[in-house]
Amino acid sequence: METMSRDVAAMSGYGASSAAAGPTMHQWSPYVMNSGTVMAICGKDFAVIAGDTRMSVGYQIQSRNVGKLLKVTDKAVLGTGGHCQADTLNLQKLLRARMVQYEHQNGKTPKTSAVAQLVSQMLYGRRFFPLLTKNIVAGLDEDGVGCVYTFDVVGCLERVRVACDGSAEELIQPVLDNLLERQHQQDKPKPPPLHVDLSREDVVNIVKDAFTSAGERDITTGDHVDIWVIDASGVHQEKFDLKYD
Amino acid sequence: MFMTRSEYDRGVNTFSPEGRLFQVEYAIEAIKLGSTVVGVRTNEGVVLAVEKRISSPLLEPASVEKIAEVDSHIGVAMSGLTADARTLVEHARTEAQYHRFAFNEPMLAEALTQSICDLALGFGETDEASMSRPFGVSLLIAAWDEHGPQLFHTDPSGTSSRYDAKAIGSASEGAQTALQEAYKKDMTLGQAEALAVATLKQVMEEKISDTNISVSSVTLPEADAPEPLKFACHYVPGSARQPVFHIYTTAEVKAIMDRLTA
Amino acid sequence: MSTASIAQALNEQRGGFDFELAKRNAALEGAGMKVPRATKTGTTIVGMVYKDGVVLGADTRSTQGPTVADKNCQKIHYIADNIWCCGAGTAADTEFTTALISSKVELHRMATGKQPRLVTALTMLKRLLFRYQGHVGAALILGGVDCNGPALYQVYPHGSTDYLPYVTMGSGSVNAMAIFESEYKDGLTQEEAMKLVHKAVLSGIFNDLGSGSNVDLCVITREGHTLHRGYDQPNPRRFRYPGGFTYTNGTTPTLSSSFTPSRTPAAVVGGAGMEVDA
Repeated sequence: METMSRDVAAMSGYGASSAAAGPTMHQWSPYVMNSGTVMAICGKDFAVIAGDTRMSVGYQIQSRNVGKLLKVTDKAVLGTGGHCQADTLNLQKLLRARMVQYEHQNGKTPKTSAVAQLVSQMLYGRRFFPLLTKNIVAGLDEDGVGCVYTFDVVGCLERVRVACDGSAEELIQPVLDNLLERQHQQDKPKPPPLHVDLSREDVVNIVKDAFTSAGERDITTGDHVDIWVIDASGVHQEKFDLKYD
Repeated sequence: MFMTRSEYDRGVNTFSPEGRLFQVEYAIEAIKLGSTVVGVRTNEGVVLAVEKRISSPLLEPASVEKIAEVDSHIGVAMSGLTADARTLVEHARTEAQYHRFAFNEPMLAEALTQSICDLALGFGETDEASMSRPFGVSLLIAAWDEHGPQLFHTDPSGTSSRYDAKAIGSASEGAQTALQEAYKKDMTLGQAEALAVATLKQVMEEKISDTNISVSSVTLPEADAPEPLKFACHYVPGSARQPVFHIYTTAEVKAIMDRLTA
Repeated sequence: MSTASIAQALNEQRGGFDFELAKRNAALEGAGMKVPRATKTGTTIVGMVYKDGVVLGADTRSTQGPTVADKNCQKIHYIADNIWCCGAGTAADTEFTTALISSKVELHRMATGKQPRLVTALTMLKRLLFRYQGHVGAALILGGVDCNGPALYQVYPHGSTDYLPYVTMGSGSVNAMAIFESEYKDGLTQEEAMKLVHKAVLSGIFNDLGSGSNVDLCVITREGHTLHRGYDQPNPRRFRYPGGFTYTNGTTPTLSSSFTPSRTPAAVVGGAGMEVDA
């Protein structure tokens, strides 16, 4: 029944386009998009990284409790958003193995900058068949200052003060640029080079507000947010509730 | 006919009933034929000094290379079959570069020494790339990493040890005794340079000159005043002060020798 | 187009669609232009017949791709006092189709002097949708009470219809239908019916990403209708940055300023009207 097939097509994904006239070319599409958002902000002696826990395909929620964050060392956390969950798991597994290997070979825990460089290298290793993962590494650098590293899908690496990746990136990043980088507050002092100049409590509240707002408008961001604060004493984990709709 | 100790010294991977690997032991013996190499570690840096045997007046001394840079913070001096050392140095250079590439930081001296030893004891394996016999060379590795200045020694068996001062090569026994007597924990780099060269002078058969020895060091020079940091992306970890491995010019060697005679 | 032909076109405007730019747009699309997408109501709409009438239910989210375009839109549309219609699909199509049919039904009521029947509205709807071969993307649930009692119809975008005791449509239809299939019984009371419809819509809201925000209900009986707009609001915002964000004057600096007084209006001399040729 024609109406049924149309309905099924409509349900299978919001990206489905109307059928074009003429022959259809069938392409191999090895990627599935499970969406979701991660963000990170670093302060003077701490870093905050957060990711929502919803995993979806099209209009379907696959899980309300899939974490996007991985504790790599006591001072470094990897967050993966805008992702294909299978690729994320694969990246996390490989990274964990490389970390163990590093500790054995060098007799020390890798610095956050080394973790970031390794992630970058692992991503670039798949330059022509990339993992569908948008990554952020947050933690403390060797001086105990908060640090955030961002990557594109093929490993372009940059140290920044604030970062956001994933489906709500377009919603959150401008807010961070305004509130923390003060790009649009021309009468206010600019933040110091390596980190933002807000307190840990303020930063966590901005993260909560950003995710709550993103959850209002991005259908793939929701359920809960893992908010992890990294400081000299380790990684402190908090779960914050978003809407379920 | 050549006298063999037993039939167990033929295969590189066959133990004798007494539990010995003769080929490895013979390789270690080969070091004792090599030119003398001295290494001295101080808190200001590590000095490596080697004897160059100028077998003919027609030999260009500069072409005898017994000290090699592995990375900007690591250098090695070799004794024994120096051709074999080239393979090890090439491997070490690759490992050091890979570590920078993968982790954006200089490789630790101990990790590098270990990776050299991994290759050194990988002889006799079935794959094409590996060496069919033990490497007949011993290395002194001078390095400065986040644990400070260090001196390592490796031998053909793939064993490595860390030393304050070490001598290898044909005159190593006498040189080691000399080092043991003169070495002090709180030496300056200048004193270490003098000790290394004086030790060579003492044990060398030929008369020492600024052309028949080679000297090098790893030090941590004062850093230039850094550019003010503007953005996080401009920050390069560990860039404030960087150690430097340096092979001395003839003039610099001569300056040490002049100090010695003064 | 000359002024005369515009005037002519306006005079000849008799309603219906204008396909004047269809060929041009197809050419532009073929040349690679990105065509703007219409707002879709990824939706959960449901309807159920009970003992004395019909309960219609809908969520209130409308989406453009993965983005929520409207957090509280109304998807239960008025057709007549005794007939209401839930719409899913392209938002503009559901709104205009129901508004159009509402007008036609009202004209029909005035012409006949009788309460409109569901089949009348249904026939108008399906004829319209069939004419446009599915290009008018409206998936509808038509419910109400007329001289034959309570009735509920489902209308697909191509014009086919079903007559059923309980129906669901939209991207959340499977989730809502799961509730009906397990809990529907004939002859429920109004209270029970509202509870079940409420539950079915909630199932869509929480399990289908295209549906969300609030629950709207509409109860239609022989006596009349009650629209419960915002019947349940299960998704309030849960957090705001304490104290909010404030920006002082001067956040956007004034680079330069100047004042130009508006021109003094020309004085009207004599006050007489404009001279016109006789």
